[in-house]
Amino acid sequence: MKTGHLSTSEQEEYVLNQGTEEQCPQVLRHLVECAACRTEVARLEHGIAIFRSAAVEWSSQCLATRPQQLQPVPLRRFPIAVVRWGFAAVVPLVLLLLALLPLHLFRLSSPQATHPAVQISAAQISDDALLEQVDEQVSVTVPSSMESLTHLVSADNKSGTASAAAGSKHIVQPN
Amino acid sequence: MEALEPLIYAGELSPVRDRMIAELGDIDTLCATYRSRIYRYALLSLRDPDLAESVTQDCFLKAHRARDEFRGDCSIATWLTRIATNLIRDSTRSRKFQFWKTASHTAVEAGAVADRLRSPGISPETAMVVREELVQVWDSVAALPGKQRSVFLLRFVEEMELPEIATAMGLHVGTVKSHLHRALAAVRKAMERKR
Repeated sequence: MKTGHLSTSEQEEYVLNQGTEEQCPQVLRHLVECAACRTEVARLEHGIAIFRSAAVEWSSQCLATRPQQLQPVPLRRFPIAVVRWGFAAVVPLVLLLLALLPLHLFRLSSPQATHPAVQISAAQISDDALLEQVDEQVSVTVPSSMESLTHLVSADNKSGTASAAAGSKHIVQPN
Repeated sequence: MEALEPLIYAGELSPVRDRMIAELGDIDTLCATYRSRIYRYALLSLRDPDLAESVTQDCFLKAHRARDEFRGDCSIATWLTRIATNLIRDSTRSRKFQFWKTASHTAVEAGAVADRLRSPGISPETAMVVREELVQVWDSVAALPGKQRSVFLLRFVEEMELPEIATAMGLHVGTVKSHLHRALAAVRKAMERKR
């Protein structure tokens, strides 16, 4: 704004105080004399006036389509909000589960790779049990004619153990 | 604009306050008198006819239920405007969190409002210019921050006085004036951009 004209703030002040007693006499005097400032103020007032006309018109048209009596307050607003928030919370969880589902199915489809340590120990246990079972069966199925041999084998084992023990004593006591 | 009648005994029950409370007690008369005004304020603030209707109904029901708390230190219109202002603010806040909600099917664009504006007796060229101006002002008002927009609407659409706006908004008169200056500056800039 050029020197000598009303500033934008003064013009806005004039528009704000339109219709009141608070108008500054100097501003009023200037507007009477200055056509440029009058045009600026009139343009701003015109913009506000058409806004008001449109607002009143639109409001009247909208209100005309509404029932004139008060309607019961819709109580469903709060539950709907809760449902929407619940939905928003559940959807990411479901998506996460869906993303993890293929991994879970893959693990189920390859059971040997699932718990190798546990399976190895289970295999060892079954091998030991199987060996014991075979040993029992063999000992049961040894024919009676060969029982003496088994006594010999067990006696050899016992004497071997005793000689080994004596040897070890001999080794331990060199003096 | 309604003139405030002075209270006879400040701080005590007065005939004026009794009359106002009686008016608040008759909800049908209350709606018939102030509904268009409150609805217009809510509609222009929210730009959603359905939401504005809901806020308007809430406003009258709250005023009716809380009528005994009305102190009578302002007009009924100002008191209703204050309740509506709080409801509009709450509604705007809750709407901000509805991130999944797309634009309401009832939301209205500036062009649609401008098309409905009756302009009898002017040429099509002038009507087009007026339409462009309206779209600029309409959009600039929509883009104002909440308090500036409310103050602007109450001053230039509802034509309330500054002290009334201050009471309705719970602000000082100086703050109201400051908001109005900023709002006017924004509207002016929008109109200048068009030129």
